[in-house]
Amino acid sequence: MKVTLISIPVRDQEKALKFYTEVLGFIIKKDKPLEGGNRWVTLVSPEWQDGPELLLEPGPNHFEPCKIYQDALMKAGMPYTQFDVKSVDAEYERLTKLGVEFSVKPSQMGTWKYAVFNDTCGNNIELVEEL
Amino acid sequence: MTFYEREINRINNIIYSNKEQIESVIGVRNYIDNNYDTDLNLDLISRLRFISKFHLLRLFKKYYGLTPKQYLIYKRIEKSKEQLKNGMSVTKTCFAVGFESLGSFSTLFKAKTGKSPSEFQKEQFSRSKLGSEFRHLETNKNYQDESNTN
Repeated sequence: MKVTLISIPVRDQEKALKFYTEVLGFIIKKDKPLEGGNRWVTLVSPEWQDGPELLLEPGPNHFEPCKIYQDALMKAGMPYTQFDVKSVDAEYERLTKLGVEFSVKPSQMGTWKYAVFNDTCGNNIELVEEL
Repeated sequence: MTFYEREINRINNIIYSNKEQIESVIGVRNYIDNNYDTDLNLDLISRLRFISKFHLLRLFKKYYGLTPKQYLIYKRIEKSKEQLKNGMSVTKTCFAVGFESLGSFSTLFKAKTGKSPSEFQKEQFSRSKLGSEFRHLETNKNYQDESNTN
């Protein structure tokens, strides 16, 4: 068994695709049509293209509990998932310049540095750097 | 303040309250990051940080979830992957990242990545070659698509 994919719920796949590629910098690995205008879109990091894929899943539009869970996490300021970065400070600088909103500015927790931003698709995402 | 921030602060105060310990282990990890290619061992690191080696071992494991030795191996294997991708020979890579014997390098590499260093390198090369061939095909395809629409 291997872990090759994680999924993230998004309300609008096209908007998410733009944000995750143009702002965050992921690249498209797979993009194929499914039924009802939905797509199977996965992304990878440019520096780790054979690493796990991130699936932009339109779950909240089709399954109410998914929407409720996503809303509850957002309201609590809780990250849906986390991405590893070389420097949280550098990413914070870069992303705020691109208009990304952070609910938690770069902070330290023990041996970790972290920050939390809004992905504009319904999720808080945490950036982490192990110190 | 959100629920998440309150929880993070609460947990932070419980498990990360000892700032001195945290500085120590971060210092050790940085030292390994900067010196993974040298003859590193726990005795040397604990002398540098003025703490007993068993205490250091326990602290490092407590904060990072793995021992300094495991972290060092992880670091060396990650660095060796970069070198192999860049085309460095297996023997050169082994010594460049701090391993002292080709045998232990190959065994550890296989155990951690599932492939021997030379298999890994071959796979990287064929992958990048395939990648460029596909890009070439893709460009032609786009060109044809455009000609069809015109």
